[in-house]
Amino acid sequence: MKCEDFENIIHELVSRRVADTTMQLEALEHAGHCLWCARRLDEENKLTERLQAFATGLQGQRAPARVEVELLQAFRERNQQERAPLLGPAWSRFWHGLGWGLALAVIVATAWIVLVQWPRHPRSPSTTASRIATRQPKASSNAPRASVTPGASEAGSTLKGDAKTQVAHIQAVKQSVPDESASEATTDFISLGTCDDSQCMEEATLVRVALPAEALLAFGLGMDNEYAPDALVQADVALGSNGVPFAIRFVN
Amino acid sequence: MAELTDLRDEQLLRMMQAGDEDAFTTLYRRRQGSIYRFVLEMSGSAALAEDVTQEVFMALIRESRGYDPSRGSLIAYLLGMARHHALRFLKRDQTYVPIPQAEEDWRDWGDAAPASGEDPHSAMTRRETIRSVREAILSLPEHYREAVVLCDLNEMSYEDTASVLGCSVGTVRSRLHRGRAFLFQKLMGGVKVEPTHEAIDGSRCLA
Repeated sequence: MKCEDFENIIHELVSRRVADTTMQLEALEHAGHCLWCARRLDEENKLTERLQAFATGLQGQRAPARVEVELLQAFRERNQQERAPLLGPAWSRFWHGLGWGLALAVIVATAWIVLVQWPRHPRSPSTTASRIATRQPKASSNAPRASVTPGASEAGSTLKGDAKTQVAHIQAVKQSVPDESASEATTDFISLGTCDDSQCMEEATLVRVALPAEALLAFGLGMDNEYAPDALVQADVALGSNGVPFAIRFVN
Repeated sequence: MAELTDLRDEQLLRMMQAGDEDAFTTLYRRRQGSIYRFVLEMSGSAALAEDVTQEVFMALIRESRGYDPSRGSLIAYLLGMARHHALRFLKRDQTYVPIPQAEEDWRDWGDAAPASGEDPHSAMTRRETIRSVREAILSLPEHYREAVVLCDLNEMSYEDTASVLGCSVGTVRSRLHRGRAFLFQKLMGGVKVEPTHEAIDGSRCLA
């Protein structure tokens, strides 16, 4: 055996890992007549002894008992998790079905609200008109709502600007029209020419106002001498959805 | 329990996978010491050794089917995980390596009380030996240290060590040879022995 070969197996030799007995004997024989290799073998043996002494001192070192306790706890929890689906299929199905049932009930209730309740709320021209009609005094219910006095219409169209000015300067505070006032006599509605389509009528609101008596003249109506110069007459003004009055009738 | 201790690691693992708590306990008690000591010897930190031991067995509980018997023994697989965790901690917090901090963790390492019948002089010599060896081991580069710790301190075979480190047996031999040369220089104060083996490619075993 050469020194290089001896160096290659010296660690196995000192740690007794050389499986080949013949090779081990050759190595020891080489160390017997080679001073350099004998010294190397002695050094490695001393180092191995120190390492073994150190390792022996560590033999009793182990993880604290609390680690085992925590691991066992984790092991049990893990087992429970894995077994859970197998243990209670009936309960699982029950809760699963309950959840789906609740979800279905919510869907049905929502559909019922949307399909049954929703159409009752939107306003249509017919319902708006009927609402106006119900708020009109009885005296005017005989006259068709759409019948606007022709002469007054012309006057309204010619005096549209003045009428709007008058409306804008209404002195009296707006008040709700009484639902039922059988004693009232009203004119037909007079168009103010500010509404060209039925759109503004859909959201119409009828309000009772007080105007100067001269407003009668502006709409081509006669004015009795009994009216004082600063006298007020009552009128119902139909306001469109944009807040602009589009028709007026006089009361009494 | 008496029969369980006679079973091999792989058999205990299969029983553990089936939910056998006793099998897990047997396996843990059989192997936790090796893992704990490996990390302790690598890092010098008892706290880290405890954490890593727990982490390794937690991983075994969670993913026990990740072990492939064809790639090595179960203890090699567990030590490989321990090495991975330990290196991660060591790289993240290099304060585990310096001796002053490790001193407290190593205080009780077999050198506190003299063995029965041991004379004070021998006990002192033993303590001094342990202290010097642990300092020398901790001063080694990591890839030499793990080869020395596994082969010399834990007496693992080259094949198992290669499995733990994820490198060839030749690389293990080379690292062990060089690591021992460093240790000899530190402990004996002798002339550094130049290794005759091939140069070490550190990247091969640090993956």
